[in-house]
Amino acid sequence: MSGVGDIVHLLFTANLWQATLAAAVLLLLPALGGVISERSGVVNIAMEGMMLTGAFFAVVADLAWHNPWLATLVAIVAGGLMATIHAVVSIQFRADQIVSGIAINIFAAGLTVFLVNRIYGLQDVGHVGPNELLPYVDIPALDQIPFFGQVVFDQNIVVYIALILLVATHIVLFRTRLGLRIRAVGEHPQAADTAGLNVYVIRYSAVITSGLLSGLSGAFLAIGISNTFVPNMTDGRGYIALAAMIFGKWTPFGAFIACLIFGLGQAIYDNNSIIHVSPYLLSMLPYLLTLIVLAGLVGRATPPAADGLPYVPGSE
Amino acid sequence: MPVGSVLFAFVIGALICVVTGANPIAAYAGLVCGGLGIGCTQGENPALQISNTIVFFIPLVTTGVAVALPFRAGLFNIGAEGQLLAGSVACCAIGIKFADLPAPILLPMVLVGGMAAGAIWAGIAGVLKATVGAHEVVTTIMLNYVAQWLVRFLIVGGPLELAPGTSKSHPIGAGAQLPTLLPADNSVIIFGLPASVFRVHSGLFIALVAAAVFAFLLWRTAFGYEIRAVGQSQKAARYAGVSVRRTIVLTMLIAGAFSGLAGAVQIAGVDHNLTDKFFNDTTGFDAIAVALLGLGSAVGIVLAALLFGALHTGGAIMQSDAGISSNLVLVLQALILFSIAANFVGAIRRGLPFGRRASPELPTELPPAAGLMTEAAVPPPGKT
Repeated sequence: MSGVGDIVHLLFTANLWQATLAAAVLLLLPALGGVISERSGVVNIAMEGMMLTGAFFAVVADLAWHNPWLATLVAIVAGGLMATIHAVVSIQFRADQIVSGIAINIFAAGLTVFLVNRIYGLQDVGHVGPNELLPYVDIPALDQIPFFGQVVFDQNIVVYIALILLVATHIVLFRTRLGLRIRAVGEHPQAADTAGLNVYVIRYSAVITSGLLSGLSGAFLAIGISNTFVPNMTDGRGYIALAAMIFGKWTPFGAFIACLIFGLGQAIYDNNSIIHVSPYLLSMLPYLLTLIVLAGLVGRATPPAADGLPYVPGSE
Repeated sequence: MPVGSVLFAFVIGALICVVTGANPIAAYAGLVCGGLGIGCTQGENPALQISNTIVFFIPLVTTGVAVALPFRAGLFNIGAEGQLLAGSVACCAIGIKFADLPAPILLPMVLVGGMAAGAIWAGIAGVLKATVGAHEVVTTIMLNYVAQWLVRFLIVGGPLELAPGTSKSHPIGAGAQLPTLLPADNSVIIFGLPASVFRVHSGLFIALVAAAVFAFLLWRTAFGYEIRAVGQSQKAARYAGVSVRRTIVLTMLIAGAFSGLAGAVQIAGVDHNLTDKFFNDTTGFDAIAVALLGLGSAVGIVLAALLFGALHTGGAIMQSDAGISSNLVLVLQALILFSIAANFVGAIRRGLPFGRRASPELPTELPPAAGLMTEAAVPPPGKT
């Protein structure tokens, strides 16, 4: 058993916090997607599947065209297409949104491995070359700030994009007319409809946006952090993102704080040579923390009022 | 409708095969051979395939019941997987700790222990739902992952590990094992194979009894009436004097006990120890499809479990015979779920466009899967 001093020492290393931020961003993107989707009233537990689909197509496209930007675009579109299935099934057909979400996750897990087998046969998928990965970018000057510079300004390009998207999501949701509309549709679709909003269009856009963000996260995982695709490589991260969304009480910055907490757990996990706790016990933390939040020990977590309810025009 | 959903899935599945350059006829022939032992061309033993299908069928029935029962109360138990794992862990721990006890004592101990562990696991979600209104979908998802990591912790460098680096637990004692239906004897030849290769075990009867208990409980007891009343309308049930909180907690406890039993029977009847195979186990998720496809009835669940058991076994043969990834089975399963949930078949029958005219009410024979969503928006019981 290591001393408390080792743990404290670890917490003061920039490396740990740099890794924390990267791990947090991986969760943040799908969590933001979840916030947007659920704010519009569509329950989304399918981030796991959308992320996995994004990861798969990022690797396929990168191996084919040797261009990480194009590959990322393909991943984003693939995530968006998965989300479109969820949208059609749960908005148009008014299916149970949880069943649809589960089906998306199973579909993605099955389809990706099925396609690996069709495209690459029984061989491995193969590895993306080091020059074909999403690049790490040091921001000049800012990365010279002691400690903070390494943590924030010496990161993968996706981290900067995600932080911008975080602020943008917050502003759009809470400071613009569009955001007001999204929230209106999620809280009281009948009233929104009466006020002249197209509930279907807003919900479709919100759900598809969640797929785009999850797809980007999948690309970051597959061709940013890793360099290949392995079956089920998201390993529950989409569900942790779901947890982060709830933990953050359906707000972008709340979700971000949750992602940072979960990301710190991941970073400590990766530095487990210093702290002698079973990594498997550490992996439980996000889920246990979310259960504690749900138990109301840290205030109530209340979803948008119409979250999960299919909208039927003309219903009371 | 369920048959239509399955057909729909197979048609789309065939399309996916064609688009990706696979032969759908070869794929489905492999599934039929592997799952049902019919029409095999590569020398598979039909009896062995059917035996393997039954081995998968057994936990699917019990967990299917564990999903279907809460459905009737308007609760969506996504946590059958976690409850199953909890049951497996308890069965294993007891079976290892008391390995020397004789079967008449130890076997009931491991099975009841598994049920208790599953019940506790689901009970957490039930209590959170009944007291603070935490949505059971989210809590059971979280509990699934806690259980998964718990299993990894226990058998990878943890207290149940057989030896460092083995990623499996000690075996349970002989007294904790459920007997196989055929003698576990290499010298006895049955259907052209040594009898010991047939893994079909007496857990089959436990699963069928579980389905019968489910039907009896739901339709022949006062508590079953209360479950259905709460599922129809919490408000009406409350006016009728039903304690909604008590019903929610009890329903989840019983559901968890079924799932835990499935996990314990899997250990006692097939595996005899926890292995890394359990990291990727999906029985509890397949159970959702089983419960939905079976329309929440005992007979339906048994039939749906047979289908998914056969698909599961058939996938391996499809992969080896036709060279098509067994993951096509997952794709089919997802398509079946989409189809049931969205009632594509009904939409097609009514004529497109896409069910816009669908009645907002669910057909009455459906488990109130969607109905729970309306309840979810209602404040937790007692707070109104």
